[in-house]
Amino acid sequence: MRGKTLLLNHMKAHLLFYLAAVLSLIAANVTYAYFPKVLGDFTDHLQSGALTKSDVGYYAMLLVGIAIVYGLCFGIGQYINHRLGRIFEFRARQELFHHFTQLSESYYSRNGIGKLLSYVMNDVTGVRESIANGLNQMTNASVLIISVVVMMAASDIPVLLILVCVLPLLAIPFMVIGFGPKIRDRSRRVQEALASMTESAEEQFEGVKVTKSFAAENIARDRFGASVDHILQRQLSLVKITSMFQALLPFTGAVSMAVAIAYGGLLVTRGQLSLGLFVALTLYLRMIMNPLRLIGNVINTMQRSRASLDRLNRLLAVEPEIKEGDDTLPPSEQHLGIDIHHLTFAYPDAGEASLDDISFSVKPGETLGIVGRTGSGKTTLVKLLLRLYDAPRGTIYIGGRDIRDLSLSSLRTQIAYVPQDGFLFSTTIRDNIAFFNRDAELHEVEEASRLAELHESITGFSDQFDTKLGERGLTLSGGQRQRTSLARGLIKSAPILLLDDSVSAVDAVTETKILANLRQSRQGKTTIIIAHRISAVKHADHIIVLEDGKLSEQGTHEELLHLQGLYASLHEIQEGEGTHAG
Amino acid sequence: MPAEPKQREDNKHTVSPEERRQAFKALFSYAKPHRKSFLGVFICAFLAISADLLQPFLIKYAIDEKVLFGAYGPKILIGLAAGYLLLEALSGVFSYVQANLLQRVGQSIVALLRKDLFKHITGQSMSFFDRNSMGGLVTNESSDTETINQFFTQVLFSLVRDGLSLILVIVFMFALDVRLALYCLILFPIITGIAVAFRKHLRSCYQQARSLLSRLIAFTAENLSGMSLIQSFHQEQEQEDRFTNRNTSYLKANLREVRASVLFNRSFDVLGNLAVAFVVWLGGFAVLDQQIEFGVLYAFISYIRQFFQPINQITQQWNTLQSTTVSMDRLWRIFSTQPEVKEPAPEETKTLAPAAVRGRVDFNQVRFSYVDGQEVLHGLNLHIQVGEFIGIVGTTGAGKSSLVNLLARFYDVDRGSVEIDGTDIRRLPQQDLHRIVGLVQQEPYLFSGTIVDNVRLFQEHITREEVIKACRQVGAHPMIKRLGRGYDTKLSNRGSGLSAGERQLISFARILVFRPKILILDEATANLDSQTEQLIQHALSVVAAGRTTLVIAHRLSTVQHADRIIVIDSGRIVEAGSHEELLQQDGYYAELTRHSRLQHNAPNVRVQG
Repeated sequence: MRGKTLLLNHMKAHLLFYLAAVLSLIAANVTYAYFPKVLGDFTDHLQSGALTKSDVGYYAMLLVGIAIVYGLCFGIGQYINHRLGRIFEFRARQELFHHFTQLSESYYSRNGIGKLLSYVMNDVTGVRESIANGLNQMTNASVLIISVVVMMAASDIPVLLILVCVLPLLAIPFMVIGFGPKIRDRSRRVQEALASMTESAEEQFEGVKVTKSFAAENIARDRFGASVDHILQRQLSLVKITSMFQALLPFTGAVSMAVAIAYGGLLVTRGQLSLGLFVALTLYLRMIMNPLRLIGNVINTMQRSRASLDRLNRLLAVEPEIKEGDDTLPPSEQHLGIDIHHLTFAYPDAGEASLDDISFSVKPGETLGIVGRTGSGKTTLVKLLLRLYDAPRGTIYIGGRDIRDLSLSSLRTQIAYVPQDGFLFSTTIRDNIAFFNRDAELHEVEEASRLAELHESITGFSDQFDTKLGERGLTLSGGQRQRTSLARGLIKSAPILLLDDSVSAVDAVTETKILANLRQSRQGKTTIIIAHRISAVKHADHIIVLEDGKLSEQGTHEELLHLQGLYASLHEIQEGEGTHAG
Repeated sequence: MPAEPKQREDNKHTVSPEERRQAFKALFSYAKPHRKSFLGVFICAFLAISADLLQPFLIKYAIDEKVLFGAYGPKILIGLAAGYLLLEALSGVFSYVQANLLQRVGQSIVALLRKDLFKHITGQSMSFFDRNSMGGLVTNESSDTETINQFFTQVLFSLVRDGLSLILVIVFMFALDVRLALYCLILFPIITGIAVAFRKHLRSCYQQARSLLSRLIAFTAENLSGMSLIQSFHQEQEQEDRFTNRNTSYLKANLREVRASVLFNRSFDVLGNLAVAFVVWLGGFAVLDQQIEFGVLYAFISYIRQFFQPINQITQQWNTLQSTTVSMDRLWRIFSTQPEVKEPAPEETKTLAPAAVRGRVDFNQVRFSYVDGQEVLHGLNLHIQVGEFIGIVGTTGAGKSSLVNLLARFYDVDRGSVEIDGTDIRRLPQQDLHRIVGLVQQEPYLFSGTIVDNVRLFQEHITREEVIKACRQVGAHPMIKRLGRGYDTKLSNRGSGLSAGERQLISFARILVFRPKILILDEATANLDSQTEQLIQHALSVVAAGRTTLVIAHRLSTVQHADRIIVIDSGRIVEAGSHEELLQQDGYYAELTRHSRLQHNAPNVRVQG
């Protein structure tokens, strides 16, 4: 619900400033309204021939004064408005980023990054521009219209005539109501098209190696081109309606003017209206035309940004699917057991359950090995333990507590996780390893890198641990990335360690060393090792075998070999490598 | 392997005036095909303005006493009112047509620009993607091109329209009184002076804000991709703080820009009004001294006010113009980057029909480095027979992946050559080369689309049946059947619903569908479990028949049946031969084998890499 009030909150928080901005703009406009009057007085005075040279100087100085006051007031108003716009932009991006950190993985699996980026780039900018410029123009136009109406009312023009002439202007609110939603709707569609183009560009750039290696560049171009053409169509359909609106709005003013010419002129011929008042009436109505154009413009931009604002609000209103409990695990507890009771889980939108009635437990300090085929549900299990997805209540217990009752911070600080893909951030190696606590001492980072058999590679880089990674820095090989990711998990030295196939890209020699290091450093701490190489789990206290989401076998290495099941056959295949070798 | 991107001079270079001129020229070449539309826009604008300007005449006619109090007064009045409405309606229609036409032109230009940019970027060699951040490129595609649209629809339009009125006003002023007009010309140096004084400052403000925005976006993009990691490590707050840092510096830069541009716009405004005061003062004296008539002064005052209206309009466009130049510089920098891997010159080009390729591969004395001075391959020789199955092993960083990068021409050799069927691959059109050489990477990449489209990479001419057949062959069929909508399951966000192994299976199926003559597997089995790998091994042995196959692996099971196994160490081939031969040599390979067998029994054996 916080989303609904994104703009409102901003307005409220800066109400005084907005008031100041509007007042400055009004002051500027009122001052400026004197400009024609002073000029008029000057010309009248001059024409009457009663002007002296010092009078000329007086008028000139008066105009200079007006120019400066107007410039200052307007400048101040404009500056405050733009500044507030930028502050809105800042706040909105803060909110967005905060919200992004709260959204769960299932949201990210449905929404591409390019699409989410488009919120941060295009939508926020759109709203900012319209509130800054819109407020300026709206204030100007309103002040102008009001002053014209006041001047008309104060004049000797018959009230009936004024009413008749202003009557066509009453169509404006209806036009706003009629056109508004359509403009907003089409604007939203433009924004969506822009977002999907951004998404497409990002996807294609990231997948450029695949596209190139299959010589599929033409297809990639066509697909991207289609998303570009989509924008074109939607922009054109938007401009059709906005330009129609912008043409119709001043036209109501023109109707007013036509009425004034016909009816007012008639009154003059009948001697019911003086010629001077007739001229004044037409001049006043003419003065209304410009603000009408402005208002049309402002409403167009407002509607357009309304679409963006709606998109932002909808995004911010998305409730994080993972709801934390407020139970916490005692922080000092280093011996946490894990119990899984009849766990069945299906991904949202998935046809079949990924995990089907799984039950097992890991005693505090034990090492559990999990093996299974691709797609058997190993990684799903990890995601559930970390609550990246939510398992049903009453199925997963850590330290005797249902993880759905735990606060996320309590749960996740107790678990160190090494994911399958070694995703690293474009920052220094040290920052990447010390991810869980960026203030960690260098010796801790070094120790972790030694455990992950990474230390030697790092000392080979000229900047050592301060070597920058990523798009503008060093690109690590797959194996180095995995080991950095491993070090990132190990430095945490958490009560529970989850290794999700974390050494798959590492050569056999290094793997052996890493496994030995692990056994040593994780003594007495709960560790779950997921692997498809038997060698990685062989020494676990307990091993479970997953097959199509079901727990098919469990036991120690020896027990499982005796079962002559999937585990034994996997072992056979992998040992076969050795047999051939021998 | 530490593949540090080559540090190029062009990373940060500034755009010279000559280059900017060229950039503008290139930009206008996009507008050229739309000349007629632009003409239409200006005619419409002209007509709309004229219709607007005619109205005072009608009213002037109406207040003419002869008409008003004449015999047909009421009828004429109604006629005038109708005429007025007609003029306004015409003006409205012209504005409408003009707005639509202008937007169509602007959007068409942007669409073409986006497509060209995309083509240019995807045409770059891989080193380009090492150097440029993904977030930056996406910003180029979406925001910078949008700014170009604004240039055409706002800046250019305003320049022409307001420039025209400015000239008209000046002409009228001179026609009225040359001396007074000449005095007013003093304004020009002042205007230019202000513009020049602000120009540099505004520009640097804008540029700074722009690059900070890029960084902010890049940071956000990266954090979005690593969000599950951030959440698992409970680093939301820390990352948010870092975001705040970047967001704050962007805000500060923006406020600086706001201050500068408000000051700039307002000083023009004040100047305009001061000019009126100046004319009143000067002209007032002139009238008193009987040098000019009162009517002239009156007209002059209205013209000097009109003089500043278009100037104000144009300075309003200044910011947009600034952003256009910056965006254009950024686009120009990309457009002027030539791919490092170049298409062969026409006279050098040799075409090899993919079907006629036999598949012999030669690496001749290949020297190669990613960074100058840090050679990765030192004169490597490798000759692969037609249909040979080559396994390549070695420690990480030995240069295995470089072989792949060179054969697929993601990079070019520094010295030596890579040949297919005796033809230097630098003489082959890249599209042809890529049809000949197929690649499966360690981390498969999936596009958003159905499974079918991901296998055939959206090539409609490949039938669904072929796709399904390929998936069956690689053993992906049962896995795909399990998905909600089978082969029509939409993958989103790089196939995040699938496990790494499942994604790899799909990328294997691609190879079977595209049937390249030469096949490279770059650590492609690292993420597969043994059973899946067995499936793949089986499928590979089917497709490898009649194909030259290079398999890079650190898992010996993947390569031990190879015709020949190459061991690479520090950029050189140190051992070569069949599995049995290498074991007998008792070198590095034998060591590796012992390890993969014994790793669980004797974990602490030290091995000389």
